[in-house]
Amino acid sequence: MRSLRPEMQYATLAQQRETAQLGMLGFIATETLFFGALIFTYFIYRNAYPHEFAAAAKDAVLWCGSVNIGLLLTSSLTMVLAIDAAAEGRRRALVFWLFATVFLGIVFICIKGFEWYLDYRDQVVPAVNFVFKPGEGPASELFWVFYFIATPLHALHLTIGIALVLYMLTRVRRGELTPAYYAPLEVVGLYWSFVDTVWVFLYPAIYLVGR
Amino acid sequence: MKYSGKNAGGQSSAFVFIIAWLVLLLLTGISLLSSYLHLGTFAPVVEFGIAATQAAIIFVLFMRLKGPPSLNWLFAGAGFFWLLLLYGISMTDYATRRGWPLH
Repeated sequence: MRSLRPEMQYATLAQQRETAQLGMLGFIATETLFFGALIFTYFIYRNAYPHEFAAAAKDAVLWCGSVNIGLLLTSSLTMVLAIDAAAEGRRRALVFWLFATVFLGIVFICIKGFEWYLDYRDQVVPAVNFVFKPGEGPASELFWVFYFIATPLHALHLTIGIALVLYMLTRVRRGELTPAYYAPLEVVGLYWSFVDTVWVFLYPAIYLVGR
Repeated sequence: MKYSGKNAGGQSSAFVFIIAWLVLLLLTGISLLSSYLHLGTFAPVVEFGIAATQAAIIFVLFMRLKGPPSLNWLFAGAGFFWLLLLYGISMTDYATRRGWPLH
């Protein structure tokens, strides 16, 4: 087990932990602007072309989006339960909840991939095979441009999150996360919950329009 | 030095997290049902109002921002502050532009 001394620039482990959290929250602030600008663009065009957006969004696969939001919300729960287990030194529970989080994340990605396949088959992929359907206007394609920018970006963030949780599992195996110091896991938890929050906003933007 | 991962503002327990998770799922269900009620221009207000509520629950409980104001709150709030500026200044363009939207 690694010695429980703070890195040389910190006076205490508590200070090191606080700095790590602030670093991640600062990063999340930039991510808020990143996704926030994307969603702002969506609102501008949805407000400008409400009928075209509603017509286009009818082709979004509702069950995929709905199952996926359930999976992500559940994964945020498993992540906080993992952090609680780390705080209380319950190693088996910690490993179980981390594996559950990874599993839920991977299932999300698989469903998302299947949904992209359905979208391709439905001929709604801009610049690849987009075909206007009855009732759709030129701006309908804009909806799918937003969809194919937002959902891969979110999936990329989630994939990074899965990799980070797997890395945490290796640190648990090495005995580096203990009740005395588990700040790295807390920081990954912050990131994971933020990625979950992004989907909470993408869900109504993509799947609940024009129902 | 040992520290507690739980903020001073309250002792979060698994029970609280499970209740929060159930509320989040319930809100998702309400959001989904509301999309079939044909609320017109109010639909996005309801749907994104629910999304904002869900985000608040995730931030306060799952991201453990619960507790007295701290540097964490400042850092978490900074993103939203700059986002409001971004939205506000951008809207001065879109709200006043002539010939928009294009048809």
